[in-house]
Amino acid sequence: MNLISGIDVTAGALAAQKMRLDIVAQNIANAQATRTPEGGPYKRQIVSFETELVKRAGGTSLPTVHVAGITSDRTPGEQVYNPQHPDAGADGLVQMPNVNLSYEMVDLITASRSYEANLSVVKNARTLALKALEIGK
Amino acid sequence: MSPIGSVYPTAHSATLGRVDAPLPKGLSGLLAPDQTGTAAGPEGFGRMLDGLVATVDAKEAQATELTRKVLLGDSDQIHQSVIAMQEASVAFSLMVEVRNKLVESYQELMRMQV
Repeated sequence: MNLISGIDVTAGALAAQKMRLDIVAQNIANAQATRTPEGGPYKRQIVSFETELVKRAGGTSLPTVHVAGITSDRTPGEQVYNPQHPDAGADGLVQMPNVNLSYEMVDLITASRSYEANLSVVKNARTLALKALEIGK
Repeated sequence: MSPIGSVYPTAHSATLGRVDAPLPKGLSGLLAPDQTGTAAGPEGFGRMLDGLVATVDAKEAQATELTRKVLLGDSDQIHQSVIAMQEASVAFSLMVEVRNKLVESYQELMRMQV
């Protein structure tokens, strides 16, 4: 039973956007990491979303969103000449992660704005439910 | 038969004209216990209120559990916990509203001239 209509859909979207924020944080944190357990520099991670049906009271279904998967960005990162670096090759070049901070900041802003938009939906749904209770007054 | 006709927009206009017409499907649950055949006895009202309180209490317990998980670090879904709390709060308001209506009806009956 769900008193506030549509809240399951919004909750799914909130969780998905939160996951996106976490992945952006991970990308920014690893922007300089040249060594990973898999070997090679850190690879930028990308989140993709997919639609999922949520069953509501009364039998109707509404599509919500959830994280379909986290994939690695395959574009090559830049090579920096730094012979002192422990991960430098024989030619003195270091393979850096393919993280672009400007892209990550844009992603960060988009994800937090989407999160805020979904929060507004929650707030509005709650106000509507409380207003409906005032019918008898 | 609802005094406010428009609150049941699905009812047929023919049904609306007759006081003794059968209630539309789905409304039979609102009938008095002896009319539906499931004689609940004098404790019917108490049981109904009890069920209402139990439902609201379950929602509160769910919200508490989610908040506890967030506070203990088992989950990072803060929004789930806050949404559950809001839902419990709306359910509680609904329960209070129902109780106010029932008490109002009772007092109206007690004021009736015999």
